[in-house]
Amino acid sequence: MSDIVNTTTTERPDALRAVPVRHPGRWVATAVILVLVAMFAHMVLTNDAFQWGFMAKNAFAGPVLEGARNTVLLTVVSMAIGIAMGVILAIMRSSTNPILASIAWVYIWFFRAVPRVVLLVLFGNLGILYARFEIGIPFDWLIADLLNIDLSGRFFGFDARTLISGFVAATLGLALSEAAYMAEIVRAGMQSIPQGQVDAAESLGMSRSLTLRRIILPQAMRVIIPPTGNETIAMIKDTALVAYVPAYELWFQLQGIGSRTFQVFPMLVAACLWYLALTSVLMVVQHFIERHFTKGSRTDSARLRLARGGAGGA
Amino acid sequence: MDVGIPSTAGPMVKAEGVHKRFGRHEVLKGVNLEVATGEVCCVIGPSGSGKSTFLRCINHLEKIDNGRLWVDGQLVGYVQRGEKLYERKPRDVAAQRREIGMVFQQFNLFPHMTALENVMEAPVRVRRETRATAREHGVRLLDRVGLASHLDKYPTQLSGGQQQRVAIARALAMRPKLMLFDEPTSALDPELVGEVLDVMRQLALDGMTMVVVTHEMGFARDVGDTVVFMDDGAVIESGNPQDVLANPRHERTRAFLQRVLSPTPKPS
Repeated sequence: MSDIVNTTTTERPDALRAVPVRHPGRWVATAVILVLVAMFAHMVLTNDAFQWGFMAKNAFAGPVLEGARNTVLLTVVSMAIGIAMGVILAIMRSSTNPILASIAWVYIWFFRAVPRVVLLVLFGNLGILYARFEIGIPFDWLIADLLNIDLSGRFFGFDARTLISGFVAATLGLALSEAAYMAEIVRAGMQSIPQGQVDAAESLGMSRSLTLRRIILPQAMRVIIPPTGNETIAMIKDTALVAYVPAYELWFQLQGIGSRTFQVFPMLVAACLWYLALTSVLMVVQHFIERHFTKGSRTDSARLRLARGGAGGA
Repeated sequence: MDVGIPSTAGPMVKAEGVHKRFGRHEVLKGVNLEVATGEVCCVIGPSGSGKSTFLRCINHLEKIDNGRLWVDGQLVGYVQRGEKLYERKPRDVAAQRREIGMVFQQFNLFPHMTALENVMEAPVRVRRETRATAREHGVRLLDRVGLASHLDKYPTQLSGGQQQRVAIARALAMRPKLMLFDEPTSALDPELVGEVLDVMRQLALDGMTMVVVTHEMGFARDVGDTVVFMDDGAVIESGNPQDVLANPRHERTRAFLQRVLSPTPKPS
């Protein structure tokens, strides 16, 4: 039905000669920006309030490094718990079991509603509610009363202050709140997978959990990872809220030095630079993770084709 | 105790008064059908006649609302004890599906796996075959559908016809006793239809029991042992392809065949 049109030519014609469109506006904008940058640089270098020498000396002080380590640790641990719980909550929410689905809904509702600072301070003060945590038979004193026996159903317990140190309270607060957000992200990812994938997996005799693990989640990752990267970056910064628990992370330590020495501003600058550095590292990590999970996707094939240096299709 | 037809002698598929509703819309209004072991049964009919829904009922992707459906003598999705019908546990439903291969209109390959990984997935994870065994079998199957040189390609790197052939190999990898085809060539460019039909023809020659929902009248005539015409959720007529396609007894069959065969006669 189509005529054969010969589009191949043996020789490439000379490149077209034409005067490109001029962009005078760009030159003006560049000049304005350069002047502004120069003014900013001059201010930063000459204003004594920056106290660069003081900042450089204190930005890597022992407590600050320890704080930075705690910040990274807090971020990693609470994101890990948050993601794991988020996946479980997302699966629960899309479950056919109405009890599981409503538990997940209530959880997400609560933890998205309460501000993180409030949650963190609340967990920091759990010791007020309970002096001790004990694990044993629920309502053992009632059972003992009822049966009129001397029953001690407590197996072991901890002092609240040892169990919920500042660090644990902070991790708990951040992770539980993160789980609610991650649950929504994971659910959106799972919903992006067409029903045909589930049909195909089920027709092969795969169970629901196997289908989730092998077919749905790996594909959903492509949708899940970019917002998760966002969440992780937000988490690095939200660890600064932990200073209110209190736990000794980066912001707490930098602020501490600032207020002890009355050199507040240099330490604020140091905080900016620290968080900038941590976030940059994270962005590099995210790039590699994203590349791993685009395996087999359209964009991936396009990249492969480009890498092979040709536009040849499948 | 299962009340059913003994596994060896009876038909591979037997449907008795199968009903299916989606909300208030009744898609299947009492389908009766038998497919013998080794038979190739082609189901034709206008779109919306319920053919695809019926096919999905055979491996319990859709629950039937009424009637009985047996595959190889076993009730699909249910167990009958005395007068009472019990739903099967998900694990038992999955075990039943293992024996039934299905090929979809939209291929539904797993896009994050290569052709060979697609084929190996279920044998390794469901049948618990070793990777080596599954791999060897997978390579053989992909070779059989003419894709020996495309083992490590991802679905997006394959044409529609190639993807559908991978999908057939994937279903065969579970060593099914019954294969269901849901309009396997409807999503294909016309020039790619032939390569998929060739694979299916070869499969039929090898003795596979097949239920094929199709619009390819040539395939139904040449490969089908029986042709079933469905309309409005019921089987209108069925019989050997020569009779049904050349001398339909029913007015509706005649009208349908006229519509699909008249505009451009298909080369077969």
